[in-house]
Amino acid sequence: MPTTRTWLQAGGGTVVLALIVAAVVQAANSSATWVSNDPVGECGRTSGGQVVAAQNVLSAATGLETVDGTWDSQSEAATRAFQAYNGLPVDGCVDTSTWVTMRALAISLCDPDYSCQGPDHRIRYAAPGGARDAYLAENDCDWGSYVLPGVARSPVASNKVIALSRDAVTEIKCGG
Amino acid sequence: MVTTIDEPKIRPEWLLGGAVTLLGAIIIVVVTMVLGAGEDEPVVAPADATELTANTCAADLRQPHWVPDDVLKAVAECPAEISAGMGRTTAEDHLGTWITYTLDGAENAETFRGRPGAGWPEEEVRGGAFHPASAIVYVAYPGSEELSGKLSGDTVTVEWQDLTESGLEARVTRVDNNGFGPVRVEWTDDVGSYLLLATIGRTPTANAGPSVAELIRIADSVAAEDE
Repeated sequence: MPTTRTWLQAGGGTVVLALIVAAVVQAANSSATWVSNDPVGECGRTSGGQVVAAQNVLSAATGLETVDGTWDSQSEAATRAFQAYNGLPVDGCVDTSTWVTMRALAISLCDPDYSCQGPDHRIRYAAPGGARDAYLAENDCDWGSYVLPGVARSPVASNKVIALSRDAVTEIKCGG
Repeated sequence: MVTTIDEPKIRPEWLLGGAVTLLGAIIIVVVTMVLGAGEDEPVVAPADATELTANTCAADLRQPHWVPDDVLKAVAECPAEISAGMGRTTAEDHLGTWITYTLDGAENAETFRGRPGAGWPEEEVRGGAFHPASAIVYVAYPGSEELSGKLSGDTVTVEWQDLTESGLEARVTRVDNNGFGPVRVEWTDDVGSYLLLATIGRTPTANAGPSVAELIRIADSVAAEDE
């Protein structure tokens, strides 16, 4: 007959194991959001957090001037230019291969040992008038877009981290 | 018989002509010197790439000693500048230091004209005529011992390559879109961890950006000459 101490040890071990599994799954999902996002553009979503993320990257890559979470002809032209330069099929659709290419451009601002709060990744392009940057945030639950003032347009606020995987333009809140 | 020899006379018109000629010559020399002084000295790649960041906040940073000949200038950003540029207060003690090397040459220059949209003919866009400037981004994280999270995806390849001069090993991550796309080279040493990022770009006439071999050589030059 197991003693109370044995039951406690077994229960504690199970809880620790469950926490480890949850952490691994969450980490895997976190990095996967960039390779398993829905298509954005005429082929998929035309509004929401994923559109904000794509537009944010395109603002740095091509000079797209408006990040408002609503897909338009400028966003599509910018996508086509991004795809052509990166050797992707040019169809104006931010599909999986385009998402993966965008993700590879994001560089951690903080040293990889350390977990920064808020915007912690940046995509930087040199440009004649000065560099163009896009900021992103990797959180436990999702990635987020942090759009610079001058580029962000309502309903996208420039001082908020916008959840990437939400249908609407909403500030990221992990665990909520 | 008396012979009279006239002494040669300097005729006034000769004097005038000589003066005008002399004045013209002086004007030509002066104008040439003034115009010559206004021309820029040809920019050449420095023998050691660290000269590109001399007198910047990154001057004492462990950084590349070699960059491709196309690189003629670099912009350094240190944690305080990065934090300020974001427009949001961020702890600076864990931020990396960035050096952006821009590449010279027509194929590496930005070709955007106006904002994306109707003014960008689709066929030209499709051919790669509208593209950003090529650059190599180098980031150093002093004190760090880890690399960034490993990327995944159907078009992503990850392999380790030896840095022969420094005796280190670098992780090379490519998003291989038919030979084009982003390339990340990451490694660590006894001082910190490092990242190089560039895009092998497709333009109508040639590839833009550095080759993978050049990125490896840049990485190898960071530690090789500091040890």
